[in-house]
Amino acid sequence: MTRLVRLSLIAFLLSAGAGVGASAAQITLLASPALTQTHLSRLTSDTSGQLWLSWVATKAPTDEASDRPITSLHYARYADASWSAPRQIAEGNDWFVNWADFPVLAVHDQGMVAHWLPKSAAGTYDYDVVASFYSAPTDKWGPPVTINQDGVNAEHGFVSMLPMPGGRTFITWLDGRNTVPVEDAESTEDQAEIAGMTLRGGIFTGEGGTLQEWELDGLTCDCCQTSAAMAAAGPVVVYRDRTETEIRDIYITRLVDGHWTVPAPVHSDNWQVAGCPVNGPSVVARDQRVAVTWFTAKDDKPQVKLAFSTDGGASFGSPIIVDEGETNGRVSLALMPAGDVAVSWLATQGSVANIKVARYSPQGELRDSVNVATTRASRRSGFPVLANVGDDLYLTWTDLTDGMQVKVARINF
Amino acid sequence: MILPIPLNRSVKALTMLLFVCLPCFADSPSESAGEWKIINYWSTTCAPCRVEIPELNSLSKELAPAGVRVLGVNFDDESVEVTRRSARRMKIEFPNLTMAEVQAYGLTAPSVLPTTYILSPENVVMAKVVGLQTRDSLMTLLTDLGVSL
Repeated sequence: MTRLVRLSLIAFLLSAGAGVGASAAQITLLASPALTQTHLSRLTSDTSGQLWLSWVATKAPTDEASDRPITSLHYARYADASWSAPRQIAEGNDWFVNWADFPVLAVHDQGMVAHWLPKSAAGTYDYDVVASFYSAPTDKWGPPVTINQDGVNAEHGFVSMLPMPGGRTFITWLDGRNTVPVEDAESTEDQAEIAGMTLRGGIFTGEGGTLQEWELDGLTCDCCQTSAAMAAAGPVVVYRDRTETEIRDIYITRLVDGHWTVPAPVHSDNWQVAGCPVNGPSVVARDQRVAVTWFTAKDDKPQVKLAFSTDGGASFGSPIIVDEGETNGRVSLALMPAGDVAVSWLATQGSVANIKVARYSPQGELRDSVNVATTRASRRSGFPVLANVGDDLYLTWTDLTDGMQVKVARINF
Repeated sequence: MILPIPLNRSVKALTMLLFVCLPCFADSPSESAGEWKIINYWSTTCAPCRVEIPELNSLSKELAPAGVRVLGVNFDDESVEVTRRSARRMKIEFPNLTMAEVQAYGLTAPSVLPTTYILSPENVVMAKVVGLQTRDSLMTLLTDLGVSL
């Protein structure tokens, strides 16, 4: 029995155990290039049809005097049914490593960009967004570049990246520069209370130079992932907003004719909560079509929703309820060639979670859904991430069955 | 149970570690039977959690004589060792539970941080409050539940 057949059989059995039922989807568990003690994986695809997997590996400190584990960022390319040899981008023992806020790898025609979050000062929550830019001609990753240039020791993270023409990269992140007291201010305590997390974005050259940078929203949720996609007019960014009355709905802002639009809700859930959902949205776009999926829990009723736009994200139709009740959210989204979208999320049953993927038509009709794998509802299982190459969908997640290992499966509906 | 304390820590760190017992209960919630419990889910990435931790530290000391225990849960479900470090960085001075202990109480992870549960001496969930809490808000809640303070 070949390795691929064995893995496919395992995947089938996993799915059967999860109660796939009548789904016609085929699931193939790929051999993972990530070894044990790996997690925080992401998938992305490039325009040439190659799939890229990034992940974080953790190992015990080598210095007996230190209690800090050594963390490293790796990646591999999947093409012609096999993975390339994994390569390491960076390593450190001063990284902020968290199940919800973890590195991104962006791949475009002329290079790659990856980021991580090294500590910027002694404070527990002082860390910067640092990126390395890959040069194809030299086959080397460049020196670390600090993306947030405020010089303030505060939280910076929850990054999304978007390849742009000309080897440029759009990067957006949550920026805590206003969350720390301002020195010499007359009332630092009051300032610390009213200032919140901001959303920022910038366009960077292939070497990491800042071409433009903006504040996109002056008050956002502190701890939810951002997401970005390229629509007809330019980048769109979705994120969890925060109003002064603690409404934390999903908002969108768009770069149109060189200016960012006033942030607007994708849908008014009116979820009022003075806390952190740790559950960001996901967006995909092509031309004027934009789709957004997100988690909300108004009145303590968890729901995963999906909404479509046909005008580049200027407006959205009424959302579809993808799941509700026993759901953890942790959504991801992929856009298929014919306009279908695939949504992934965690459906929970106590301490167990089924990683589910559903495919919807461009009109929002459910075509099929499948349980890809069963994992723990624990935060350690992380945020599964979807990507597609043509009609092949790929999903990555962290398996906790035997330690901690990144997995990848292909899904064909 | 108090886990062994590494010898290469500073005295200050030792003092903090003494407050972070993991697990707090050997096998089941039975050891805390007879006590009201305030169980607070926190995470290192949760800004409002960090704001309310000092209030919970204060309540932990203030309510102990009244038979009310303040207990924490690391929402991020990290190892005991990592949770200890995180709790120390968060300046948490009340005991923290492992996920197994949390499950023994029948609690599941909340959708939002911070989330705080109030459990009766019979370990029945009497209240669930989402978002940033203060000493006064929790004291009011306990009073409304008829807890003798």
